[in-house]
Amino acid sequence: MSSVKQSAIWDLQLRQLLLPKLGQEVSECEDCIGIDTEACRFAVADGATEAFDARSWAHRLARGWVQRQSTLTVAEFRAWVAAEGRELHDSWNSLNLSWYSEEKARTGSFAAFVGVELDLENGAPSWKAIALGDACLLHCRNGSLIKSLPISRSESFNAAPILVASNSSLHDGSMTSVVIDAGNCESGDVLWLMSDATAAWYLQRLENGDAIASNLFDIKGDEELNSFFDAERLAGRIRNDDLAIVRIEIKQRSNG
Amino acid sequence: MYSAQITRANPTCIILLIDQSGSMADPFSGDSARKKSDFVAEVVNHTLHDLVIRCTKTEEVRNYYHVSVIGYGRTVGTCFSGPLGARNIVPIAEVADYPLQVKSSYKRVSDGAGGWVEIPVRYPVWIHPSSDGKTPMCEALGRAKEIIERWLLEHPRGFPPTVLHLTDGESSDGDPNEIGRQITSLGTDDGAVLLFNCHISTRRSAKIEYPTDENSLPDGFARSLFEISSRLPSNFLAAAAQLGVNAVEGSRGFVFNGDPSSIVQFYEIGTSLTGMTPYRWMDDRTELA
Repeated sequence: MSSVKQSAIWDLQLRQLLLPKLGQEVSECEDCIGIDTEACRFAVADGATEAFDARSWAHRLARGWVQRQSTLTVAEFRAWVAAEGRELHDSWNSLNLSWYSEEKARTGSFAAFVGVELDLENGAPSWKAIALGDACLLHCRNGSLIKSLPISRSESFNAAPILVASNSSLHDGSMTSVVIDAGNCESGDVLWLMSDATAAWYLQRLENGDAIASNLFDIKGDEELNSFFDAERLAGRIRNDDLAIVRIEIKQRSNG
Repeated sequence: MYSAQITRANPTCIILLIDQSGSMADPFSGDSARKKSDFVAEVVNHTLHDLVIRCTKTEEVRNYYHVSVIGYGRTVGTCFSGPLGARNIVPIAEVADYPLQVKSSYKRVSDGAGGWVEIPVRYPVWIHPSSDGKTPMCEALGRAKEIIERWLLEHPRGFPPTVLHLTDGESSDGDPNEIGRQITSLGTDDGAVLLFNCHISTRRSAKIEYPTDENSLPDGFARSLFEISSRLPSNFLAAAAQLGVNAVEGSRGFVFNGDPSSIVQFYEIGTSLTGMTPYRWMDDRTELA
């Protein structure tokens, strides 16, 4: 866990977890976490397993977005994604691709994305978020869910979400599904960014009144957490997918 | 059941069983210019293309599937030739690397701004049309059974093998019912082997797609194929629904008197598998759903 002083009044306590699918290497993980504590911007991108170069696309989205200013409107987001997509496609030009890689590349790459920016400079901390796909932001207070976006129920996850496409010719159809939202925080509130497998699992646990998930990061170290999520996937309670989790706890400084 | 994750460590097996008897040289009714065998070969090549693309991870093809294409007519055996020709079942990465040829062409697609643009496309070819001899369906199903039995020895826990059988006529070597039942009695921990049958017709007759019972079937041959056709698991029903195909709980993976669109949908649904995107080669592929 890292504690980052963010303002005269507010601290952020951060934890993150990134795990590849069971049986795969870390280098094969297509989830990506982006964190910029200075800008208070955090993001998770989940590259679509069936897409071309999904890992690179997820990295561009998550790590690029947190270094941006704003990009919290559909128009800004769309323009930025289009520019990133062009750069990604240009990076493929130098590759000597087989027929099947060429065919796959032609469709471009796809990823789910969620990004959140916190404002801790005012008396009441607040957040703004943007999401497309099934990577989620969950806002919890005292272990209860206040808000979840872009998906709010565990049964709403499906195999074919609308994703962030690297090919801008697809944006007319997909960018209409971008979800933008905002909220206010109190001391002790937790914001979670999660890729789909853990978001679905976490929401289901909350729906069942199971508090274990919300306390998990308080009581377990990194190794224990990794083992816990491996066991959950082995047992089939979490789908065997890449896992990305960012936990952001907002704390009022005791001397503030 | 039918929920095992398909991975490189836990792949599945897909067998395409194709009638290549002499009657496949006949055209579909109402389409005198096109032989059934030509159309089926084209759809099979596109199906293989799609399976390869699904498994392509940037510059690598992952062996999620092992594929067999068995033809039956004058002989019974693999339709692969060239470097793949000696084997009945081939990992998808090798299928990707050894098409007989890769045709290049251009395709007109939307430019996203109200206009059109031509983009290069590749059409790999693995099998050529063939139509000769009788219809030794039982022998062909027996060959599929042998392949499956060997597969199951090494893969007892994965997503079970799928057999997609396409024919245009009655068996010339007996009732396929018994060998069909033997195939569907095999399976893995994740479910019984799936056997789907598509009968296509030269005659102008009403097609029957994915029925739940035998009531609408015209004769004993149709009923025999119905009886050995597996029920569509929920994943396949979802794929059918996405394609606008009227299949419901209890529907069999069975088409009778199918037309060209029935064939395309049969392969799309039959290869949809767990969580896989239905195959839409006839759509503009740049407009991904």
